[in-house]
Amino acid sequence: MSNNKYKILIVEDEANIRSFIKANLETSDYQVICAETCTLGIMLYASHHPDLIILDLGLPDRDGLDLIRQVRESDTTPIIVLSARSNERDKVEALDLGANDYITKPFGTEELLARIRAVLRSHRQGAENESTPSGKYQLQDLLIDYDKRQVFVGKDEIDLTQTEYNIMAYLSIHAGKVLTYAAIIRAVWGYSDYGSVKKLQVNMKNIRKKMGVTPGEKRYIVNELGVGYRMLEDNL
Amino acid sequence: MKSRQQQKDILFSVLVFCGSFAVNLLIQKIFTTQTLVPMIFVFGVFLISLKTHGYCCGIVSAIVSVFAVNFAFTYPYYAFDFFVEESIFSAVIMLIIAISTSTLNIRIREQEMLRVREQEKLRSESEKERMRGNLLRAISHDLRTPLTSIYGSTSTLISKYDALSKTQQLKLLGEIQEDSEWLIRMVENLLSVTRIDDAKVEVVKTPTVLDELIDSVLMKFSKKYPHQRVITDIPDDFVDIPMDSILIEQVLLNLLENAVFHAKGMTELRLSVFLIDGKAIFEVADNGCGIPAEALDRIFAGSYEKSAAPVDGTRSNMGIGLSVCAAIIKAHGGEISAENRPGGGAVFRFSLERECDDEQ
Repeated sequence: MSNNKYKILIVEDEANIRSFIKANLETSDYQVICAETCTLGIMLYASHHPDLIILDLGLPDRDGLDLIRQVRESDTTPIIVLSARSNERDKVEALDLGANDYITKPFGTEELLARIRAVLRSHRQGAENESTPSGKYQLQDLLIDYDKRQVFVGKDEIDLTQTEYNIMAYLSIHAGKVLTYAAIIRAVWGYSDYGSVKKLQVNMKNIRKKMGVTPGEKRYIVNELGVGYRMLEDNL
Repeated sequence: MKSRQQQKDILFSVLVFCGSFAVNLLIQKIFTTQTLVPMIFVFGVFLISLKTHGYCCGIVSAIVSVFAVNFAFTYPYYAFDFFVEESIFSAVIMLIIAISTSTLNIRIREQEMLRVREQEKLRSESEKERMRGNLLRAISHDLRTPLTSIYGSTSTLISKYDALSKTQQLKLLGEIQEDSEWLIRMVENLLSVTRIDDAKVEVVKTPTVLDELIDSVLMKFSKKYPHQRVITDIPDDFVDIPMDSILIEQVLLNLLENAVFHAKGMTELRLSVFLIDGKAIFEVADNGCGIPAEALDRIFAGSYEKSAAPVDGTRSNMGIGLSVCAAIIKAHGGEISAENRPGGGAVFRFSLERECDDEQ
C-alpha cells in the first residue's frame, strides 16, 4: 500500500495553512505535493497527474477558477475548493465549473479528511454508473431502489412524485457531493428559468415532509444555504 | 402638510393685503394724499413674497394690488379705469418685485434645506464612526486576550517541549484550540459587519426557505454545543423569506450562543418563527436568569464595558455579537428587541419583511 498512495496536490498561497494540511494528509497516508501559485499548480498538475487537487480560490497570481477550467478541459480529477465563508457566488461558480466539493475556511482537519475520502470514493465509483444507475442506495434507514424507482424509509415506502424521485435519485448518485441548484434543475427538468429554484425548493420541502425529516436533524440531505444540496454518504 | 402650508400662505396673503388696504384707507382719510398708496401696496406684496412659499401668492397679490389701486385709490374712485398708463406701469413693477423677491426667497430656502441635510448626513456619519470606533475598541481588547494565551501556550510548548508531560502538552494544546475557535467566531461576526458595509445601501436579499435556514442554523449550533437541545416551533408550510441567509444565520447563531453563555440556569432553549401581517417574527427564548434591567436598554448598543468582565470570568463576545445582530437586522430593514419573560428568562425577537421589493 505504501508505494501506492493517493497523490494530492495542494494549491494554496498561505504557507501555514499549506503546512498543516500537508502534515495532516501525510500522516493520513497520502502523498502530498504543494504549489503556492496558480501557475505552479497547473504545471505540477500536468507533470504529476495527482489523484486529487485541493485548491484555494484566492491565489496571488491568477484566479483559482482558471485552474478548474484548465483541468476540466481534459480530465475529471477531483477538485476540492477551499473558500471563504461569505462568498456563495464563488462557491457556486467553482462547483458549476466542475469542482467536486468545497470546504469553508476555517475548517477542521477531520472535516477535510472526510471530504477527501468521500470525493475520492465517489470518483472511483463514479464513471460507470453516472447516467442510468442500477441497484440500490442505502443511507442510514433510507433505501433507494433504482430499478424499481422506489424509496423506502425503514420498511415504509415513501410515495414520491416523478419529479421528487428524480431529485432523490440524482442527489443519491452524487451522494457526498454538493450539487448546486442549477445543476439539479438541469438534471431534473432539463432547463432552468426564473422561479425554478423555488420549484426545486418546494419539491425538497415535500420530499422532507414525506420522509418525516424535521429541521435540525442530520438526516439524508444537508442544506448548503444559497448554494445547493448534498446527500450524505452511506457511512461505511 | 403641503396643503396646510398652502392654506397658511393664502391666509397670510389675504391678511397682509387687507391690512395694506385698510392702512391706505386710513392714510387717505388722515393725510388726503395718495402718494403713499402704491408704496404701501408694494410693501405688502414684498412681505407676501417674502413670507410665502413659491411664486403664486406673490404674483396674485401683485395683480390684486394693482386692481385695488386702480379701483379704490385713483380717479375715478371705486371704478376700474384701465386707460391710466400709470396703473399698467405700476402693475409691471409690482410683478417684478413679487417675482424677484419670491425667487430670492426660494433660493434661500433651498440653501437652508441643503445645509440641514448636510448636517444630518454629517451627524449620522459621525454616529456610524462612533459605533465603528466602539466596535474596534471592543474587538482589539477582546482579541488580545486569546492571542496572548495562544502565543504564551505555543511558546511554552516550543521552549519546554521535553520538560512538559504529555498531559500538560495536551492541556496547553486544547486551550490553544479553544482560543482559536473563539477567535474564529469573533472574526465571523466581524466579517458580517464588513459584508453590510460592502453592500453600502442594503444587503442583497435572496428568497431563503425557512426550513432550510433553521436546519442549517441548528446543524451549526449542535456542532458547537452538542449537548444543548433547541426546541423549534416553525410554520409547517413552505415559507420563503427574502434575506441574506449567511447574515441571518449569524444572527440566529449569535442569539442561541448568547443564551448558552448568559442564561444561567437555563433548562429550555426555544427557537420559534411566526408569520404575522406579511412579516416573519423570529424568537429565541430561554428560561434562564434573564437580563439585568440596567443592561436591557443598551443591550444592542455594543456596550462592551458591561460584557467585558462577566461574573464568572469567562470571555464572551456578547457585546459585539448582539450589536452585530442589531446591525444585520437594521440593514435588512427589520426590527430587533430584547425583553425578560414574565415567567423568567429572556427573549430576543426580530422581524423580517416577507415581501421582496426587488423581485421581478
